[in-house]
Amino acid sequence: MAKNTLRKTFMEPLGKNNPVFVQILGICSTLAVTNKLQNTLVMTLGVMFTTALSSFTLSLIRNHIPSRIRMMVETMIIATFVIIVDIVLKAFYPEMWKQLGPYVGLIITNCIIMGRVEAFALQNKPMLSLVDGLASGLGYAYVLLAIAFVRELLGTGSLWGYRILGSWWTNWSIMIMPPGGFFVLAILIWIIRETIMKEAKHD
Amino acid sequence: MNTQPTFYRERIYPLLFMFIVTFLCILLTAGIYLLTQDKATANELSFTRRAILQAGGVSFENTTAGIELAFNEKIAVEDGYYTTQGPDGTRYIIPLQGPGLWGTIALMVGMEEDLRTFSGLAIVSQNETPGLGARIEESWFTAQFKGKTAPFKMVEEGTASAQNEVDAITGATRTSEYFLNLTNRAADDAKRIIRGE
Repeated sequence: MAKNTLRKTFMEPLGKNNPVFVQILGICSTLAVTNKLQNTLVMTLGVMFTTALSSFTLSLIRNHIPSRIRMMVETMIIATFVIIVDIVLKAFYPEMWKQLGPYVGLIITNCIIMGRVEAFALQNKPMLSLVDGLASGLGYAYVLLAIAFVRELLGTGSLWGYRILGSWWTNWSIMIMPPGGFFVLAILIWIIRETIMKEAKHD
Repeated sequence: MNTQPTFYRERIYPLLFMFIVTFLCILLTAGIYLLTQDKATANELSFTRRAILQAGGVSFENTTAGIELAFNEKIAVEDGYYTTQGPDGTRYIIPLQGPGLWGTIALMVGMEEDLRTFSGLAIVSQNETPGLGARIEESWFTAQFKGKTAPFKMVEEGTASAQNEVDAITGATRTSEYFLNLTNRAADDAKRIIRGE
């Protein structure tokens, strides 16, 4: 029973309850940072770290938070973890920090994090909340990496900064601009909902 | 247990709770910040020095130690600018900044003794569109100013041939224009900073 709950908690955000293509949360960063695989990976690691630890921490103190100020407390704790990510990146990966610019700080406003805290961590035990946060971060990460793969490849002819397509390839500049993010995300959601999710519904 | 709303439960406790959470959070972030502060400052200094070396056309090993070594050996720090010895006399390196499409572009520009011919340039910071305007940081773009004489003219990407022509960036026309204005201002700025004209 406990094992089942754990499994369910972990699997749901990856599939039928995915934060990006089912709940359509965290779209701002989905569009903003997915034009390069490298940046996307660092960004998603930052989000995973933040969702996991803020869900864990808030679940620890969930019985003591006065309900009328709970959102302030949530934001404060989420912001703390995000600032830690920002400081550590700045000190140890300065090149990456420069490239991501303001987007690391904007993790604070990522709806997935606050969403999981409100919907899950405040009602569940710390370890389970940690798993839920981590899985939500993972669910966000793989969708973003998939989008970044398409955008970087079509937009610059490269992957991970290395040229993949030959000189015959004309870069689709629109792919690395914000509209490209909308196109790829919309097409991805459409494909997933029409194929995988539809089958799951009929079962 | 008393479940009636009391003054303590309604007013004091939330205030106290928020105060304690805020205090702990600030303690944590301030602690981590102080622990990594030296490293962050060193990184920033290293970035600036690397830009100065690139602008002056000085070769160096791209590590923190390599940058420091080359900087100490080859670059002289003056009041508001830097100098280095190039093959054709003294080279002047000045910091320059101006508007880009989204934010300020800051760069280092190196010039030969005539204060018109560029020995190189390097971006210190910029906030242009990643993948488009941000390509001003790529070496093919910055390298093309080397040995050319201001005022510059931007031409379509891949077609620059004359002594004052540089390739613009396809898809980033506005950033290219801002950058062009900035580099064309460099000669005047250099005269003002170095000779006080």
